[in-house]
Amino acid sequence: MAECAHTWNMTNRQFGFAVFERCSHCRIIRAYYAEQDSWDDYKEGEHHWSIVENAQTFRFDLECEECGMYVSYDDFLGLLYCTSCLDDCPVEILRKKYEEDNTWILVGFGFLPESSANPYSAEKLEVLSEYFNQRRDTSRSRVKILPNSLIDKLSLCRGDFIHDVGMLSLEPPEERKPLF
Amino acid sequence: MTTQELTDLLGLKALSTFEPREITGVFISDMLSDVMAGAKSGNLWITVQTHKNIVPAANLVDASAVIVTNGKQVPEETIELANKHDIAILWTESQTFELVGRLYSLGLATQ
Repeated sequence: MAECAHTWNMTNRQFGFAVFERCSHCRIIRAYYAEQDSWDDYKEGEHHWSIVENAQTFRFDLECEECGMYVSYDDFLGLLYCTSCLDDCPVEILRKKYEEDNTWILVGFGFLPESSANPYSAEKLEVLSEYFNQRRDTSRSRVKILPNSLIDKLSLCRGDFIHDVGMLSLEPPEERKPLF
Repeated sequence: MTTQELTDLLGLKALSTFEPREITGVFISDMLSDVMAGAKSGNLWITVQTHKNIVPAANLVDASAVIVTNGKQVPEETIELANKHDIAILWTESQTFELVGRLYSLGLATQ
């Protein structure tokens, strides 16, 4: 039987929040998807979590309409676009390289801090790239989603997540505070 | 109809430089997540959002143009990013409702 070329559809869409919080003791940043936003500080073991940002986002899965293959993204935080903040960052180097082929680079993040140690599955990011390319006119340009492990100085990264920030206000902030 | 033809027909102000593209339909939302989930390639995206993040969102879903309505001022950094990615940012003082009526009368609708 021939291998399926896959035609991906987005399914199981749920709108919620990407929550970014920081521990005031160890300064570690934690980010995850939640159905409800939250602004309250709270203690959890040795950590004392304070909200850095709530952004509206959505979660989804992908399913191949040909073979039924199902890929879950319930541990996916979002897509970050490179703002060319560091010349020597591997993402910036790849961004310049891919730009020559009209390919636009994005960085896929799983929840933090888990995906700092174990980058988001390269296979799932490949499927996600394939999905967004199937949605676009690829004769003009393509997208390529890279794993966040390529960002070697996350604390200095000024890339921006494609999230809805400040949507509870009529006037979103002009400048988003650095997350990392 | 192309983005350039639409710009001329409706007297929209082009804030960024762009290559004209065929318009496939219209998508209206002020949420990036909505757009990422539902807009289709070649769609016109109508919004009052002006933050620079509209550019990567429009780019990701391959929108043919973003039309900013209600005369909302668009920051320079949004325009610069749009120029870099060949994303058409069009601007009008019209309210979204009025603009949508005009688009509908031109035969454009949700894809």
